[in-house]
Amino acid sequence: MQQYFRWAGNALTGDLGVSFRSGETVTSQIAERLPATLTLAVAALVVALVIALPLGMLSALHPRSFVDRIATVVSQIGISVPDFWLSIMLILLFAGTLGWLPSGGYVPLTEDPLAWLQRLVLPAVATGVVSGSVITRFVRSSMLEALGSDHVRTAQAKGLPTRQVLGWHVLRNALLPLVTVTGVQLAYLLSGVVVVEIVFSWPGLGQLALQAVRDRDFPVLQGAVLLFALVFLVINLLVDLLYSRIDPRISRR
Amino acid sequence: MTQLPTPGAVPAEPPPAELPPTRTARPRWRETLGLLARNPTAAVSALVLIAIVLVAVFDETLAPDGPNEQDQSRALQAPSWGHPFGTDELSRDILSRVLLGAATSLRVGFLSVAFALVVGTLIGLLAGYYGRWVDDVLMRVMDMLFAFPAVLLAIAIVAVRGAGPTNAILAIGIVYVPIFARVTRASVLGVREEVYVRASRSVGASDLRLITRHVLPNAAPPIIVQTSISLAFAVLAEAALSFLGLGPQRPNPSWGLMLADSRGFIDQAWWYSVFPGLAIVLTVLCFNLLGDGLRDVLDPRQRTLMAGGGR
Repeated sequence: MQQYFRWAGNALTGDLGVSFRSGETVTSQIAERLPATLTLAVAALVVALVIALPLGMLSALHPRSFVDRIATVVSQIGISVPDFWLSIMLILLFAGTLGWLPSGGYVPLTEDPLAWLQRLVLPAVATGVVSGSVITRFVRSSMLEALGSDHVRTAQAKGLPTRQVLGWHVLRNALLPLVTVTGVQLAYLLSGVVVVEIVFSWPGLGQLALQAVRDRDFPVLQGAVLLFALVFLVINLLVDLLYSRIDPRISRR
Repeated sequence: MTQLPTPGAVPAEPPPAELPPTRTARPRWRETLGLLARNPTAAVSALVLIAIVLVAVFDETLAPDGPNEQDQSRALQAPSWGHPFGTDELSRDILSRVLLGAATSLRVGFLSVAFALVVGTLIGLLAGYYGRWVDDVLMRVMDMLFAFPAVLLAIAIVAVRGAGPTNAILAIGIVYVPIFARVTRASVLGVREEVYVRASRSVGASDLRLITRHVLPNAAPPIIVQTSISLAFAVLAEAALSFLGLGPQRPNPSWGLMLADSRGFIDQAWWYSVFPGLAIVLTVLCFNLLGDGLRDVLDPRQRTLMAGGGR
């Protein structure tokens, strides 16, 4: 108990203790790994949004159409696929059979931007697809809700061109809640990369955490878990703040 | 009515007027099953899941080979009539191991969700029914648990308690307790002030009787939906933990472990990594689809609320 409070007190000042295994401070180990994990998570989020926004919008604009059915099936499967298996399948296809991309590793952006990108694509896709599926469903339902609302019907009745109605009346309202979902997904992505990092030998926090588990290196593990929880909370806070910024109805309360 | 409508506090549907109240639960069950049968996706998913459960129960009679039967002459063979899914590096039949792995995955999945269901529902019931400080204390603890990413929390729990199936069950179970607590609480808040609950209270029914006879049965639909969806995530989490070597240990057949082993032979044997993964996808997909179907039948208004939660 006393030990815990000492640890918590030190953690507040940025001192997370010393790794049993390497003797380095936990803080420096985490700081070394954090950029790689953040890069991957943000890249995965980009992949997720690139998949989700068009797919979700298209299926909301044409409900029960062919596109909609495909989108529903794809997102349903996307949610059910384990990200690490998808990683293996991507390696099998793109690194093995086609030989287009390397199967793993990490090169800093500053050294060789092309090699960096080549190694980022597969893990980003593998992590991004799951979030993309969740966001697709969300975009679809929130677009449908906005499309069915009274002010959209009014705008159409006034004879405004479809493009204007969609851009101004529908999207604005449909995409507001998307901020929240995207934020939550980013937080999930940060933890989702843990397993994918292992498959692609991506030198991020996930690898660090798993190695710590295998070595029973508790200070490192504790630090990593604390950091993930902290990031999760900070993202949620930022989302709430951002939300009240962009939605005047909330900030006025 | 004093309680504020919290997000997700969707009032559960009161039982249809023509049915006798909760005492006879049978007709409602039948009604639900009937509606579910008319939803083709959910019905097919349920049938596939029943098949998977049967496979898990009768695994030893169904599997052509034992889990660790070896024959050195046939290591890493491509799929053929004799071995439809091929063989692995120790010459074991992959089809047999996939079938046998179903038991491992489902056992961990069911037991961990059972744990989360019992503990989470109890916490949610207490928090929702008693409100005030009970609610505050319990739900703040749940929020704390919720702040940790699921897989990482499970990894941390296993790290402290040691790798193995029992600790994997416990870890996954603990991770999903807060979701059940939240869903139950929201549902209970909606039911608590219903007229039939207040009527029953006014004639002097005890808290225990109120909870067991009126509140829980009527708050159940979202909990049932959440159970199906959580089973999907629990199977995924089990696969991830055993992939990382933190769940069942070798040489037990487990889908996640098979995938971990297959990585070493990715250039030589595509079948090794494809089939165990497909087994995971099929199982998880069916639990998800069944959950969606159940939600359409039991709780249509809560559709988007928990989408994606629990990852």
